[in-house]
Amino acid sequence: MKKFIFPGDLIDKEKLNIYGAYYHNGSTYSLVTGMYDDEEKRLIIFNGPYEPKIGDVIIGVIEDIRGNGYSINFGLAINSYISARDFRETLNYGDILVAKIANYDESDGNVELTEHSVLRGGIIINISPFKVPRVIGKKGSMLDQIKNKTNSKIIVGKNGWIWIKDGNVNLTKSSIQKIEREAHTSGLTDKIAKYLEDNEESLDVN
Amino acid sequence: MENNELTKNGKRLDGREFNEMRPLKIEAGILKNAHGSAYLEWGGNKIIAGVYGPKECIPRHDANPFKAKLACRYTMSPFCSKEEHGRAGPNRRSIELSMVLREALENVVELERYPKAMIEVSIEVLQAEGGTRCAALVAGAVALANAGIPMRDLPIAVAAGKIADTICLDCSKIEDNYGQADFPVALAPRNNDILLMQMDGLMTKEEMFKALDFIEKSAEKIKETEKNALEKAINKVN
Amino acid sequence: MEPIDEIKKSNVKNLLQNNERIDRRGMLDYRPIEITKNYIDTGEGSALVKLGETKALSVIKFDVVEPFSDKPNEGVISTNSEMLSLSSERFESGPPGEKSIELARVVDRGIRSAEIIDTKDMNLGDGKVLGLFIDLYLLDYDGNYLDASALATMAALRNTMVPTYEDGVLIRDNMKKKLKLKGDVFMNTFVKIDDKILLDPILDEEVSMDCRLSVGIYENNICSLQKNGRGEIKRNEFEYMIDASLEKYKELKKIIEI
Repeated sequence: MKKFIFPGDLIDKEKLNIYGAYYHNGSTYSLVTGMYDDEEKRLIIFNGPYEPKIGDVIIGVIEDIRGNGYSINFGLAINSYISARDFRETLNYGDILVAKIANYDESDGNVELTEHSVLRGGIIINISPFKVPRVIGKKGSMLDQIKNKTNSKIIVGKNGWIWIKDGNVNLTKSSIQKIEREAHTSGLTDKIAKYLEDNEESLDVN
Repeated sequence: MENNELTKNGKRLDGREFNEMRPLKIEAGILKNAHGSAYLEWGGNKIIAGVYGPKECIPRHDANPFKAKLACRYTMSPFCSKEEHGRAGPNRRSIELSMVLREALENVVELERYPKAMIEVSIEVLQAEGGTRCAALVAGAVALANAGIPMRDLPIAVAAGKIADTICLDCSKIEDNYGQADFPVALAPRNNDILLMQMDGLMTKEEMFKALDFIEKSAEKIKETEKNALEKAINKVN
Repeated sequence: MEPIDEIKKSNVKNLLQNNERIDRRGMLDYRPIEITKNYIDTGEGSALVKLGETKALSVIKFDVVEPFSDKPNEGVISTNSEMLSLSSERFESGPPGEKSIELARVVDRGIRSAEIIDTKDMNLGDGKVLGLFIDLYLLDYDGNYLDASALATMAALRNTMVPTYEDGVLIRDNMKKKLKLKGDVFMNTFVKIDDKILLDPILDEEVSMDCRLSVGIYENNICSLQKNGRGEIKRNEFEYMIDASLEKYKELKKIIEI
């Protein structure tokens, strides 16, 4: 059974280790607005700041040149830094970067990155990081469904930044935004399939 | 107006019972840019709140290596009063209230989760009609929750007062101005812990704790309204 | 400017090569406009305008003031703008910066030039006059705060009631007198991006612009102009924007009357 839950609401009268909840005096309480599934003991969160995790692929923008490297804005509390020596080319202000989190220090918010490359062209859209799993779908099924219909290149950053290039960019963008709005509803895969079908022609600018 | 003119036939001038709140309406997620937002109408008060963050702390030297800085700005618009046109920008009162509101919210927001960062809460009073700082706290709390900022509780706030020697809940502007005491309080409803408290006027200890009773009893209703707004914002399908 | 603006710029310019805008509008189309009159009860007049996602509030208030020494029998109009920090991460809190000050002055200029408010009718006697205060409050910013604010101001003025003056005090209850206006002033803002002229720039287009021109129109007159940005405007482009503005007047007049 799923029900809405709010900051300070009681989740369980025992200690549960759930993301988005805290433990106090023998009980677990919610820290956020969301839905609690008491069967799966899972808190479904819709909106909030991105929490970095090692292994996550994230997308950001070059904001500054500092010392011998670049300061990159991934929408986190502090910018990340990559040395210029780690790049074969010179980067510019405004360049888009995709990278993987190699290390994350929770105590100071510092993120270390690896496997980074520049993304040229395309557009960036932003969605809530908590809706990213819905955009990707089980085993990537939702994303594949979109790619098949639109032929767009899509890279989804776990931080909620999404890069779209080529193909029917408008349709890709509006499908993802539709998923974001309706993430809490059921039957979403079918709804998006229908949406892609209905709008294949009308939104194509090519 | 005299203090004893504030009641008529055993009721308040607007017809309310002494422990009755004015109508409260809240909407969340009403702005495109703000990470979280809330719009509130409480009696004649109209307040809009917006939250950004966690983000880089500006100025850099203000950053705390162990937790986020909560920057809270409470401002009254030049047109918030039915009477004269005011001045835009902060004044001594709004600076004091910004601090008092910030400290109340700091109690419940999990700032340790975002070291070195900053969370900005902007609360703009478009219309003021008594109890504005409490309405501002409610708007700020809903905006923070709407932004998904982790909070240990969803705080509420309401002011009690004393008019014609009687304790009353949620004073209107006229009751504020001509009454005998003004007692704004914010609570973390889970345990009714007091997060914000100010008072001016004259009250006996008995009167004060009766006022606190009124406030505690209204906490549930205010929290319900906050939750409804947050739930509606999630359910909003274009 | 933000670093993310670089990719926005590339995208906007690419699409414009095919005369396409990112939200698929016509080059001279406004975004959907929604006007809510009397949004603020404490003002003597007010309106909230939603221009796409840009949300601008304009509130009118009266006060008793001293006239200017060179116009001792005329009322005073004063316009102030606040680009609230909650409207965008691009605006910091603090006193109005140059953009905000420019906005207030440009909106004010159009109304003043067209003389739609009769300031001679604002004399209270005894050396006092009515001050008409226009407060522009930007609540959400997605491009073109100018047209949104100007339209909100026009809608607010159209619904403004004038308080009575008794014993040196303004009475704002039971106001029966509506503010008399000679007509309507509308503003049209265009941006130039790589030789393309677009009306009503959405944020992505605004950050991509070479320059911007706001044209104030009163009936069939131009009553204000403001060029913004370092790009240059050619004479024929200027004429194109003037013609488009004169044309848009009727459309905006219809919208404001709803």
